[in-house]
Amino acid sequence: MTFLGMPLLRSTRHDDQEIPGGQGNIVEDESFAKVSHQHLSNQQLRNNIGHATATIRDKRSEVVAELDDWEALREAGSRAKNQVMENLPEYLAQFEENFTAAGGVIHWARDADEANAIVTELVEANAPVLESGRREVIKVKSMATQEIGLNEHLETQDIDAFETDLAELIVQLGNDKPSHILVPAIHRNRDEIRDIFMEKMPDAGELTNEPAVLAEAARRHLRHKFLTTKVAVSGANFGIADTGTLGVVESEGNGRMCLTLPETLITVMGIEKLLPSFDDLEVFLQLLPRSSTGERMNPYTSFWTGTTPGDGPQNVHLVLLDNGRTRALADEHGRSALNCIRCSACMNVCPVYERTGGHAYGSTYPGPIGAILSPLMTGVEAEENGSLPYASSLCGACYDVCPVKINIPEILVHLRGEDVEANHSPVSSQLDAALTGASWMMSDGKRMAAAESGLPIAHAATGGNPINSLPGIAGAWTSSRDIPALPEKSFRQLWAEDEARAAGEDEER
Amino acid sequence: MTDTAREEILGRINRALGRRGGGEYVSSVSESVPAASPARATGTDAAPKDPGAPAAGGGTVNQSADYLRTGAHEGEELIELLVDRLEDYKANVHRVSGDPAATIAGLLDSGSNIVVPPGLDHSWLASFNGEISVDAPGQELSIPELDAQAAVVTASAVAIAQTGTIVLDGSPECGRRAITLVPDHHVCVVRVADIVDIVPEGIARLTPDAALTFISGPSATSDIELKRVEGVHGPRTLDVVIVDT
Repeated sequence: MTFLGMPLLRSTRHDDQEIPGGQGNIVEDESFAKVSHQHLSNQQLRNNIGHATATIRDKRSEVVAELDDWEALREAGSRAKNQVMENLPEYLAQFEENFTAAGGVIHWARDADEANAIVTELVEANAPVLESGRREVIKVKSMATQEIGLNEHLETQDIDAFETDLAELIVQLGNDKPSHILVPAIHRNRDEIRDIFMEKMPDAGELTNEPAVLAEAARRHLRHKFLTTKVAVSGANFGIADTGTLGVVESEGNGRMCLTLPETLITVMGIEKLLPSFDDLEVFLQLLPRSSTGERMNPYTSFWTGTTPGDGPQNVHLVLLDNGRTRALADEHGRSALNCIRCSACMNVCPVYERTGGHAYGSTYPGPIGAILSPLMTGVEAEENGSLPYASSLCGACYDVCPVKINIPEILVHLRGEDVEANHSPVSSQLDAALTGASWMMSDGKRMAAAESGLPIAHAATGGNPINSLPGIAGAWTSSRDIPALPEKSFRQLWAEDEARAAGEDEER
Repeated sequence: MTDTAREEILGRINRALGRRGGGEYVSSVSESVPAASPARATGTDAAPKDPGAPAAGGGTVNQSADYLRTGAHEGEELIELLVDRLEDYKANVHRVSGDPAATIAGLLDSGSNIVVPPGLDHSWLASFNGEISVDAPGQELSIPELDAQAAVVTASAVAIAQTGTIVLDGSPECGRRAITLVPDHHVCVVRVADIVDIVPEGIARLTPDAALTFISGPSATSDIELKRVEGVHGPRTLDVVIVDT
């Protein structure tokens, strides 16, 4: 059982000072409480996110219910990923050997900067300079490249990166940020998308707001790019250690275009994305689509092993990215967050996410998984990432739906403890003083009893009425809610009286 | 630079896992895998089939897990399940006993040009009267040439009924990936013998050496207000011809 809000686990991180945190788009620069307030007032955003999460949630439940062995599949998925994490050096070495033997080239990147530099160098070596004086690459939706801010970096190196996933295209053309892992443009309605397309696609002509018309416009807009661009950049959903195979799961066919037609393919993948064996796909190809889009299977999944003679890109690269993953791995209590297969099921069931949307988390990884993954990758000291573990009511819905059984609530509580330890001591604020005081009082029954003995007086002082305003830090709490009227007696006092009465009755018998 | 990065990342992982040896990662799999790692010990029937097998040396971690490896459907029921699931994801399904040539010709525009992989059964195209380009090794169609094809006709490696999934494996009768991607219309022949019930049965029939493409319905997006639109970048029409020979 999780005891709400109270950090139970002490840090058992190994050598954490020596393992640097990640960088890039995994950092919340204002506290979650502050940012979420701004987003809560955006009614359109709340409606769209609410509609999206409810719809996908229902679809997921239906297709998950179709499988009698769902729980066994979750268990198998969890086991496979735990196995990978515990033996990560061996699996990486095995993967590297197989991928390289099949004609691929592996690059290792310690952090976002290094990964960006490697990709830039590869693009410069393989993509021609166009008349505009710039180079171009096409991209298939990838969270890893979002995390490292690749597009922004390439921009500064005179390289234009074209997102080809429809939602990513909407986000990119609108100079916007994704708000959901799975449907990144869900905060935009069809009218807004039409306006963005009309403005940014000069050849599109007059468009209506019909989704089919808008999808057709995207097809025409990107088709020439697909057929002519020399270099593509992708992420990967899976890397298979025993074969050196990479896999991308998608819907639109933009992934197949990027993975098949260009001469050079550069994939950026986190080191934690490995699966032990090709056979493990029999588990993950059931878990991922059903958890993610609520489909029995997504329309397209591609697997490639290095290069295939005569078929697809003949110049194939993989950038294996750390960027804080090893830091997360060092936390025994948080390590399983690396099991995440980016399905987004936890977001769709989260009451906090449903109301704030993804932007409030300030990271590529929003929702419950983001609230643990971002601080695990950077350390809770980084900027305001220590505020993310509080972005939860600890209701546990995220754990129930997680296809690889990541115990998100438990890790949230653990990270709250890390945050208190790292960011809130020695006592530096009213809240800290209050928490420290509460901790001192609650940790000893006598002190607690002494505090409670004041209740009848406090009850009388407040006239038995609800309290609607408290001073100081507690004012933030009462600004939007009332504290119920104080009882005359505490639970412990009532319990003691009840026990005494029961004992008395026993004696009378 | 990257060599250093490699050693440093592997060193960080070893430290993160609490292993001795600093930057030295342990290259021998069997030495470093704990005898009873939690990954194996948590299941109800946790003992691996072959306890001596190295964890990272092949075979799945889940050999002993109790999810389903085979489905219960067979015969006509199995075919009907596949048809149902394909149609649910907006593929057009056609069933044929014996020679599929007339059905295939009926799906293609008369006089149009199509591309086929080198190993396709020629008899399947006997009734088609358009122009056929064979995409063979050394004579591959260029991307613009593929873009000019009205359709592509291929066979398939496996079809998974439960999920309505067809797998192409780059074999001579499935072709290289580009030919089933660029043309806007894909006619895909599925032999009844290649239909399996559930995903594990499908994976078991595949070898990972080739480039694999799993197809479940035509390309689709739900990115605009979650309204499903069929047909974005991949072939917008998928005709599946199920052949019972």
